[in-house]
Amino acid sequence: MLSLLGGIFLGWSLGANDASNAFGSAVSSRMVKFWTAAILASLFVVLGAILEGQAGIETLQGLTGLTLKMAVVSSVAAAVTVSIMTLLGLPVSTSQAAVGAILGIGFLNKQLNVAGLGKVVACWLGTPLGGLLVAIVLYRLLAVFYNRSRMDIFESDILLRLALIVAGCYAAYALGANNVANVTAVFVGAGQLTVFSASLVGGLSIALGILTFSRGVMETVGKKLVRLDPFSALVVVLAEGLTVHFYTFVGVPVSTSQAVIGAVLGVGVVKGINTVSRRTLSSILIGWLLTPAIACFIAVALYFAVNLRFMPEY
Amino acid sequence: MLEFFFKKERQLESLIYSYLENMGKIQKHFAKAMNICLKEGVSDDFCFLMDQTHKFESRADDLRDETNELMYSRALIPESREDIMALLERVDGIPRSFEQILNMIRTQKLSFPGFLILDIQELIRVSMESCDLMAKQIDVLIKKKEGIRALMSTIDQNESHCDHIERRIITKLFDSDLEPFLKLQLKEMVVVMGEISDQADRVSKRINIMTMKRRI
Repeated sequence: MLSLLGGIFLGWSLGANDASNAFGSAVSSRMVKFWTAAILASLFVVLGAILEGQAGIETLQGLTGLTLKMAVVSSVAAAVTVSIMTLLGLPVSTSQAAVGAILGIGFLNKQLNVAGLGKVVACWLGTPLGGLLVAIVLYRLLAVFYNRSRMDIFESDILLRLALIVAGCYAAYALGANNVANVTAVFVGAGQLTVFSASLVGGLSIALGILTFSRGVMETVGKKLVRLDPFSALVVVLAEGLTVHFYTFVGVPVSTSQAVIGAVLGVGVVKGINTVSRRTLSSILIGWLLTPAIACFIAVALYFAVNLRFMPEY
Repeated sequence: MLEFFFKKERQLESLIYSYLENMGKIQKHFAKAMNICLKEGVSDDFCFLMDQTHKFESRADDLRDETNELMYSRALIPESREDIMALLERVDGIPRSFEQILNMIRTQKLSFPGFLILDIQELIRVSMESCDLMAKQIDVLIKKKEGIRALMSTIDQNESHCDHIERRIITKLFDSDLEPFLKLQLKEMVVVMGEISDQADRVSKRINIMTMKRRI
């Protein structure tokens, strides 16, 4: 159980940070109470992890062979990386941190599945792009239905609120299905957990993060989305959920934050406005490059440290 | 099923319609009070109608506060909340003008010289028409029916017509042999009367912007 603590911490921080991508806009705009959002998000994260988390777990555990010690080191390295990046105020992807840490261990034990790694990196590139494209298509499609509907001002409000809650639940489901691998896949590779128990433990630890520490992030980070009009916010959440869910089928954990940024950019493309500043974009790029590198370095350093032995002099 | 989950929105809708209904009552009492005043000056009937106008104006304030309170308790999405609050705030300027005019007549003991009566009656008639059209436009906005622009255009024409009447009255007033102090008193009141159609026009333009914002 103690060996799982690194993974549980990683899941907790993932839940605390990433739930805002699903429900931030609804909570920060006071459309949904925090506790309603937190309970719904937790429920759907656990459901997603249990029902569709296996593919990602299999991909990550296949990147390299791991002993229990290596699994603990990689999950702690990923968790430390996420904490450092958060402290530095840089956008961080838990998926990139987890993969970076696994890579570090893979370099050390000289077992690296290059084909699997290529697939993962390709998906990282495709996440913001996917969010952007899905948002463009969704915006145009939903706008046709919305403009043609004969709903009055109150009905359209009710519909938008309901849609935002449903989209939030779906995005939380996709988060659980896709990101649970980051939390517990290494323990499956080390033979510590079965795929099902890894999904359950991972899902529950993400839910714990949502229930205990996501309030501040949901109420502040979400405001970035709400500056868009409610319809655009709905498109962004839905596009993020669809993009992340797509990568769940591919079996690669990706960043929900990067999918959101892609979707916000997509809305900007349709409306012909700048929705994301250059500064935000450059900090995302820096985070994108630094996260796996830092996680890899920390994993190598940690693994080296835990293998130091006291050699008495004779 | 949806009605159960979103009863606040329905409550809000009914409050807005109560506000509009109340606004109609204020308008009716104001118009009657002005007619009496133009015929017989400040009389008991005038005072009664003025008190009624005040009563309904206070009710309008209560309804607006109730609406705002309901919206703060998470009814509607933030954008709609802001729009409706701003709209009611602007609409509320009209009953305030009604009350102000009646108060001026009563407290300053104003009486209208005969050569102004027809113009003042015309100014009130067109202003009341603008208020009716504005209420209709709010209904069109809420029910998402067609015709916002057509209504806006008529309200705009009325506003311009009222401006002409207002200028005509002021010119006649200062061409007359009335006491200079009375001239200034009457001018001040005519300006407030002209404000009714100006405010209706502002509300109407705001409604048009709200409709455009909702088009995706």
